[in-house]
Amino acid sequence: MLDIRGLSKRFGYGKGEVTALHEVSFSIAEGEFFTLLGPSGCGKTTLLRLIAGFTGPSGGSLVLDGKDIAAMPPNQRPVNTVFQSYALFPHMTVGQNVAFALEAQGRPRSEIDPAVDKMLTLVQLLHLKNRKSSELSGGQQQRVALARALVAKPRILLLDEPLSALDMKLRKDMQIELKRLQRETGLTFIFVTHDQEEALTMSDRIAVMSGGHVQQIATPRELYDRPANRFVAGFIGESNFLSAKASAGVVEVGEGRVALADAPDGPVTLMIRPEHVVLSANAPDALELQATVAQLVFFGTDTHVHLVLADGTRLVARVQNALHGGQSLNEGERITISLPAKALRVVRDEEVAA
Amino acid sequence: MTGADTLRRWALALPAVVVITLFSILPLGVVLVYSFLTPGDFGNVKWIFSTDGWFSVLFERNIFDDTIAISDANIGILVRSIVLSLITTLITVIFGLPTAWFIATRPVAQRNFWMFLITIPFWTNLLVRTIAVQEMIRSDGVFNRILLGLGIIHEPIQMMFSNFAVLLGMTYVFLPLMVLPVYAAIEKFDFRLAEASYDLYASRLFTLRRVILPLIRPGVIAGSILVFVPSLGAYVTPRIMGGGKSMMLGNLIDLQFGQGRNWPLGAALSITLTVLVLLALIWYTRLTSGRKERNHG
Repeated sequence: MLDIRGLSKRFGYGKGEVTALHEVSFSIAEGEFFTLLGPSGCGKTTLLRLIAGFTGPSGGSLVLDGKDIAAMPPNQRPVNTVFQSYALFPHMTVGQNVAFALEAQGRPRSEIDPAVDKMLTLVQLLHLKNRKSSELSGGQQQRVALARALVAKPRILLLDEPLSALDMKLRKDMQIELKRLQRETGLTFIFVTHDQEEALTMSDRIAVMSGGHVQQIATPRELYDRPANRFVAGFIGESNFLSAKASAGVVEVGEGRVALADAPDGPVTLMIRPEHVVLSANAPDALELQATVAQLVFFGTDTHVHLVLADGTRLVARVQNALHGGQSLNEGERITISLPAKALRVVRDEEVAA
Repeated sequence: MTGADTLRRWALALPAVVVITLFSILPLGVVLVYSFLTPGDFGNVKWIFSTDGWFSVLFERNIFDDTIAISDANIGILVRSIVLSLITTLITVIFGLPTAWFIATRPVAQRNFWMFLITIPFWTNLLVRTIAVQEMIRSDGVFNRILLGLGIIHEPIQMMFSNFAVLLGMTYVFLPLMVLPVYAAIEKFDFRLAEASYDLYASRLFTLRRVILPLIRPGVIAGSILVFVPSLGAYVTPRIMGGGKSMMLGNLIDLQFGQGRNWPLGAALSITLTVLVLLALIWYTRLTSGRKERNHG
């Protein structure tokens, strides 16, 4: 539905020129909850502003339903935005804010009023219709911003870190609420965030961005299980990295070795999630290594075991706390750990860059 | 509260009380009292109660047959003062708003420079500034010479001593008073709101009307008061630009205390002016405090 083709954006001129977006290309499907995830300065907000039309691209095209909209001003694009600051009109009531888009389109009153009521019902704010938008709580303002952006039935809803101003509890509620809204309306959402948990819980697909490049586009599960490179692995969830040598499908770390079919010959970087590290020697088909327990950190549901290998590499293992303590470890203890082959991933060191 | 506390409070309020009494209540009282006295033969007043001063604000008595008629001259000046002041306010809004918008949307480092340019006339003597405007539109002034030189006109256009001349002078003199508060309001305006409006299918004009203007309205109203009030009482500008032909309230008052030797009428006119200003201020406070009710639809 939306095809982004070689889209790039540069700011400034001459020596001061900065490239915020390097020829990004991908497609977003109808009804998808698509997330742009990355640290600040990765280009995700620039990409969002390009789709909204607030800035023009330096190159490439933006094709919506087969039509290039790259040169279209924002008020002609069937795309609406929920802003990070909400940007509600402070001199208007909740109802007037929601009615704004329809009034700007010149729809008749008889069409606007029911549409506004329907939208406010959807976000459960009908009882606050005549309240000034400045008199609302953060969560309520958020819902008004959503209703305002949805009322004109855009083809795509853009959400620019809409939950970042809310507290933890409210954010969790809004995550569920947003997902519900998206399912009920069947709309395409493009969601920008730097919060990986938010991205993982809500998205159908995620584009991980860094340095103005898309590093990987995948489902949350795939992103977590098979990160394309070290950046993605480090950004999504927690990761342990090991330097290894591979030859003929066998990788070697210190004294341990294990068969790993997809490993290319030469030095490689292995990645394993903390919850996959096994703190015993009898894991079959695994990389067995000697390690010293450096520190135990209790986290309630689980304990993080900080380990140091013989070559000084640090690893973290996450062990679920059993009801009766299970095996007990002591700091300073030397143990044998196993890294199961099926949990080990070969990751590229370099990220996508110019 | 102890007695000492009460005393302390009064002592602290004393400077303000003295200043207000001395510079506001007392002079106004004097003017009010004088407006109810009888004119002296060579100016000043006789201490005989009379309502003639107030009567003469709107009416005049025919000196031959004692008939009473509405004073066309005074009412003409009163109406002209209000109308010219309103038009001046309107013109300063029309020119001041885009000017303030231009300055407020410059890079921060440049704004002070533009503001400086706007305020330069402020540091110049009012008389000098007004005479400079006169110099532009006199019969042998800059405009006429250029137009004559270009052959566009063959006789100088008579622009001085007219309502137009007064308006030109007042607009020039009071424009900074409009630009400053409007600039302050636009600078505070959150441009993300304009972006949001643009995103929600609004055209530029719709955004201006429905988002920008309502939010910078307090600045425009403050500017209007700052321009309207001194315009109403303007003296120097109508004197120089309008001469005897385009008098305003300030000049009429001056006339009563000078050549007219009718201090009570002058005092009554002064009070009338004060009341007009007061009405404008009441309108202003109602406009700014009653904004909630006005934003429906």
